[in-house]
Amino acid sequence: MRLSRINNLLLALIILINGYIIAGPFVPGLLFHWQSHSGQRQALQRKIHSPATSLPPQPNAVIIPSMLLDQPILEGTIANQYKTLNNGIWRWPRGSTPDHGGNTVLIGHRFTYTNPRGVFYFLNKVKMGDEIGVVWNNKSYTYKVASINEVPPTDTAIENQSAQPELTLFTCTPLWLPKDRLVVVADLETKP
Amino acid sequence: MSEKTKFWVLLVLLLLSIALALILNTSFNKVLLSS
Repeated sequence: MRLSRINNLLLALIILINGYIIAGPFVPGLLFHWQSHSGQRQALQRKIHSPATSLPPQPNAVIIPSMLLDQPILEGTIANQYKTLNNGIWRWPRGSTPDHGGNTVLIGHRFTYTNPRGVFYFLNKVKMGDEIGVVWNNKSYTYKVASINEVPPTDTAIENQSAQPELTLFTCTPLWLPKDRLVVVADLETKP
Repeated sequence: MSEKTKFWVLLVLLLLSIALALILNTSFNKVLLSS
């Protein structure tokens, strides 16, 4: 009788774990569908056009209305990349920064089972011409998406410096079998 | 199937499920950082 109860518990755990493995990657998408009707996108669109200097000092951040993202940009060494990426968006330390021009590279997780809604989970929702705001040292920079590509993980050219000021965002793709990288490059539109 | 046999089968399946979840989680992390 006691063993029968334990077996039922084991069966429930197996169903729960495998259900999570199968459904996990889709849960953030369902939440996004609900959130996209809450007016958050319009609020973020207004935020990227309000000068950061008019607000109290705030951390460096990236704002992407089309994917409902408003997250701080984290700094960290390459040796600590796993730790930094688990906490949010990591600025590639060998890349530039918005105030210096060149290529500012931001990297984020798309999906992991320990953190289903990675910061760049919805990077695939970003379309050509979408606006991206960056707050850097309390100044606002606005970028416009100029290209969206998928490249193999060995293609490190996406991290190269550029003559023009631009912003490169990348994460892994596709969601289920992430063998490549989804790369969004945006050109600087306005600077402070 | 006796309850005892069922127990061992379910235990192995549970361990395999946990292992699959861990492998998938690790592979998701590695792809992003493979350069």
